[in-house]
Amino acid sequence: MGGQACVFYGAAQVSKDVDFLILADEANFKNLHLALEVLAAKRIAVPVFDPAVLERGHAVHFRCSAPGVEGLRIDVMSRLRDLSSFDQLWERRTVIGDLDGNEFHLLSVPDLVQAKKTQRAKDWPMIDSLVSIHFRENSLVPQPEWIEFWLREARSPELLVELISMFPIESRQLQKGRPLLSLAIDGNLPDLRTALDAEVRVEQEKDRVYWEPLKREMEGFRRAEREDHGGRLG
Amino acid sequence: MKFEDWPEEWQEWALLTPIERFRESEKIFAQYLALGGTLDPDPDPTSPFYDPSEWNPDAAHGRAGLRVLRRGAS
Repeated sequence: MGGQACVFYGAAQVSKDVDFLILADEANFKNLHLALEVLAAKRIAVPVFDPAVLERGHAVHFRCSAPGVEGLRIDVMSRLRDLSSFDQLWERRTVIGDLDGNEFHLLSVPDLVQAKKTQRAKDWPMIDSLVSIHFRENSLVPQPEWIEFWLREARSPELLVELISMFPIESRQLQKGRPLLSLAIDGNLPDLRTALDAEVRVEQEKDRVYWEPLKREMEGFRRAEREDHGGRLG
Repeated sequence: MKFEDWPEEWQEWALLTPIERFRESEKIFAQYLALGGTLDPDPDPTSPFYDPSEWNPDAAHGRAGLRVLRRGAS
């Protein structure tokens, strides 16, 4: 769902870890344990691998040691800020297959864009690239839902101006939800850049507020593990 | 930035199919590991998962991708 999905979609060239969004119900949890055993994955940080913890929005971090994946880090989550339930995300997913019959199940581009709206500075250029590439790949046969997606999520002033000229009616319809579209309509690029930066700061603040209680909880987990295990992770 | 204004290398990357990107990424990553790159995450204080106690002082310039083999006098 993270950097590897961005590789498939063209917004990144490499990712040093693999992030999985999982269904953390009881039946699937057993399968997940089996998969982690195959990868010889050991938890390397708090919190513990527990469906209740995942459901609160935490990520669980593992490092693999099976042959072929030695050292690979895996992050597992079951809930993402402001995103739909797992079932809905799964319904909307992109599936990419190769000639060997392998399938790669990815968050859809719109869901990935939403997931990347974090407090981390490095995620925002990814959003810009994801939307730009998606537009380039689909602009010849633009579906109404894609037009709305591009107008709502484009982060480049130049792309926004192009979108406005291609889809003037949709642009005006969406102005209320994204006021900075009016700056693009006016061709006011300096103010548009400022407004785009302000959008980022608002989302980053939302993400910080979302994570604040989870970070406090993680600090508690770390303290408890240091006391219980002398710093070793179980 | 519009696609047409991207650097040539980015455009070439974007023009690959998803599977081609994934395979190319595997090759780039293999080279990265062969050059001594590590799989530790780069320290990112803006990440909610960042734990300063996990920071590795052997990392070059605070980055996990390279390791300091010899320190100069400066």
